[in-house]
Amino acid sequence: MKSRQSLPYAFLLPTMLILLVLALVPTVYAINISLQDKTLISPNSSYVGFENYIELFSDRRFINSLWVSLKWEVITVTSTMVTAIVIGVLMFEVLGPRLRNVLCLIFLIPVLLPRVCAAFVWKFAFHPLYGIVTYPYRLITGDTLEILSNPDLALFAVAFVDTWQWGFFFAVIILKLLEALPPQPLEAARLDYTKPWQTHVYITLPMLKAPLISLIFVKAIESLRSFDLVYIMTRGGPGISTETLDMYAFSQGFIEAGKISYASSMAVLMMLMTILVFTVIWKKARV
Amino acid sequence: MNISRRIGQAFLFLMVALVLLPLIWTLLNAFKENVDILTSTPKLIFTPVIENITYVLGRDSVSVALFNSLIICGIAVIIGVVLGLPAAYAIARFPNKWTGEIQFFVLSLRFLPPVAVAIPLMVIWLNLGLYDSRTAMVATYSLLTISITIWLAVPAFQQVPMAIEEAARVDGYDAYAVFFKVSVPVAMKTLLGAVAFSFVLIWNEFLIALMLTTSDAKTLPIVASEMSQVGFDTPWGVLNAAVVLLSLPPLLLLGLLSGFMNTMFTNKSR
Repeated sequence: MKSRQSLPYAFLLPTMLILLVLALVPTVYAINISLQDKTLISPNSSYVGFENYIELFSDRRFINSLWVSLKWEVITVTSTMVTAIVIGVLMFEVLGPRLRNVLCLIFLIPVLLPRVCAAFVWKFAFHPLYGIVTYPYRLITGDTLEILSNPDLALFAVAFVDTWQWGFFFAVIILKLLEALPPQPLEAARLDYTKPWQTHVYITLPMLKAPLISLIFVKAIESLRSFDLVYIMTRGGPGISTETLDMYAFSQGFIEAGKISYASSMAVLMMLMTILVFTVIWKKARV
Repeated sequence: MNISRRIGQAFLFLMVALVLLPLIWTLLNAFKENVDILTSTPKLIFTPVIENITYVLGRDSVSVALFNSLIICGIAVIIGVVLGLPAAYAIARFPNKWTGEIQFFVLSLRFLPPVAVAIPLMVIWLNLGLYDSRTAMVATYSLLTISITIWLAVPAFQQVPMAIEEAARVDGYDAYAVFFKVSVPVAMKTLLGAVAFSFVLIWNEFLIALMLTTSDAKTLPIVASEMSQVGFDTPWGVLNAAVVLLSLPPLLLLGLLSGFMNTMFTNKSR
């Protein structure tokens, strides 16, 4: 009897303490640094209050990166979900069990690849002179096709790679969810001669509303991690057209100026925004 | 009906090509000399060379990074298991008003932007004299492995039938024995998948490693990304070889992870 009372504490307390320390110390530190004028070059620093934060809002590049990040979130979440639903439903409709298994294995590959690798694979495929994606264009027009150095296309190209990694992975999940649904409503629909797309739009997808919302939520969180792809494929360029928040914070803190405090204030703002937005969404979605 | 089925299948095979072709192309390029890669018309027939692979494997920076990656990821994953699994079990089997909050706290760790964690940690590790050390990397990555292990292992433990645990209790096992001798072995297959996921997650991690290491503790993704800056021209063959080698460990876990997905999503509705 006693062991049943002590177990939850023995199992939870140490882990939670360690997690709290590992998470809270950096957070408090980040806020602390953001109120100073620390740089990588000079060892001395003093407290400057909210100066960094005030500076941020008149920083055109920061406003730009906010906007780019927002675009990135919307584009990647939407395209991932659309790809996943289309492919997941198609697999469910047109494939037998054996092919389904083979395709599921193949579709898991992109998400397992290190993002650095996925970025390099596609960076080379998009290469204007030697890439395989641009090859048909070169063949037909004899001209080169600039994708990653075109400010209008670069963000979409990077978002495409993100969708390539996540869309297929989510398609597999959606297929599994469809397979786990009770078969009766589907059979009833079939007897009523509904078309397959109608069955899914009006029956199965509404039945999967809760898990689909969770998937959107997970993707929105994972989309915050755009850095690896952007860093390898465009470094925020051309110009600042693909400079997301984390890319800008990184370049302020490490590449250009070494302004650790300034970068930190950006990170703190980012943290506040994501925690606020996602906590609200999560609590709302659960009710 | 049959025609639309065929069209659907054709579309899916196109998607398979979209996944596989770029990867096969990368694999081929890893065995090409630069002259065979830098052609306007993609070359399918070429004399394969092994130099790219041997060059990558022969570099000191790569062997150091491989060692670092293995040690750091290995230890962080083990810490994730040791601390994460018991916590997940407690959340799954002893739910109260706190466990919901705890679960949300664990999930919310994933909301933290990596930059927001990496910048202060850099300063902290510098102050402690641990910057660019494997210890610092293990501690940092443990935050990731513990939270992802908890998150994935809670449903795994919930799927263990209550009846088995109760039977064990009737046989005189105390709560700890039930966990170690019954729940963990029964859920083992799913748990292995969860652990594999946490390994892949930190093996692939880039941003934090980029900010927290400069030479001694560099991990493999960082070194691979630097391959594009070797010498004057981008050595595409070498870069492709590095990409292939870096991708191998996660892909070796493909079977395990696919099995994990099956149990996670198929049994959920029961």
